[in-house]
Amino acid sequence: MTHDERPPGQGVDRGGGSVAGGDLGCEDAMKNVFDYLDGELPPDYSEKVRRHIEMCKRCYPYFNFEQAFLDYLHDRGVKPARSDELEERLRTLLGEVDTEDAEGCD
Amino acid sequence: MSEKREGFEAEALIHLDGLYGLALRFTGGDDAAAQDLVQDTMLKAYRAWDNFQSGTNCRAWLTTILRNTFINDLRRRQKRPVPVEFDEVAERPIYPQLRETDPEGRFFERIVDEEVIRAIEELPEDFRVPVVLADLEGLGYQEISEILEIPVGTVKSRLFRARRRLQQRLYSYAVEMGYIRGE
Ligand SMILES: [Zn+2]
Repeated sequence: MTHDERPPGQGVDRGGGSVAGGDLGCEDAMKNVFDYLDGELPPDYSEKVRRHIEMCKRCYPYFNFEQAFLDYLHDRGVKPARSDELEERLRTLLGEVDTEDAEGCD
Repeated sequence: MSEKREGFEAEALIHLDGLYGLALRFTGGDDAAAQDLVQDTMLKAYRAWDNFQSGTNCRAWLTTILRNTFINDLRRRQKRPVPVEFDEVAERPIYPQLRETDPEGRFFERIVDEEVIRAIEELPEDFRVPVVLADLEGLGYQEISEILEIPVGTVKSRLFRARRRLQQRLYSYAVEMGYIRGE
């Protein structure tokens, strides 16, 4: 197994030593994958991660994978649901509020 | 029909199906609870309709009411939440298994919507709610931390673990369905 074929988070240089480009190691980059993809890192640190993954053939596909997962979750997780029964009940209740309002005006 | 009612139907009621879908995610698929939640939301919105600026984002407004209503109920019935135990197998990353065969995660796209929805709904509540807020609604860590009254670090770790669980679950499903080769 060459250096570049190790799965993330395993056998990576401890202490975040730099593997490729920038002053950030694979371990530091991978540890922050969700913070980075969620846009939650401080701007200068985020920039360091960006520079690292651009140059690193181990981290780049990994970050892509996690991004694909988050996109998928966002696209498929919110699905409208339909209930005629709910709509009907709601219309009745809105009607009751209308009646209350009308009576309040008298 | 009153002018108020007409406006409400045209601008708010059209979001009913979207809100109901979101409510089901929040309640973990509990249909009765989801319907109650949507009903409460719509009635609150209708009573406050005079204050709503026509033309502004009605869906976002309704979503905020729904979320606040849900969180308030949640707080009321939650005593001491039992921390979700760490599950080494369920929370393992799946990328190492896929880096040779599907590094782009194409298998996700083959999974039917019902399966990801079920996966979200079956997460423990402590994990599910942050996922709905972050991954479905797109809120930031700080905002979620304030809404749920938990530290930002807790939001992060719950999100992290919840996402790992979702991945593992979708991965197992995809292996079962023969979309990817298991190991
Ligand atoms: Zn790297």
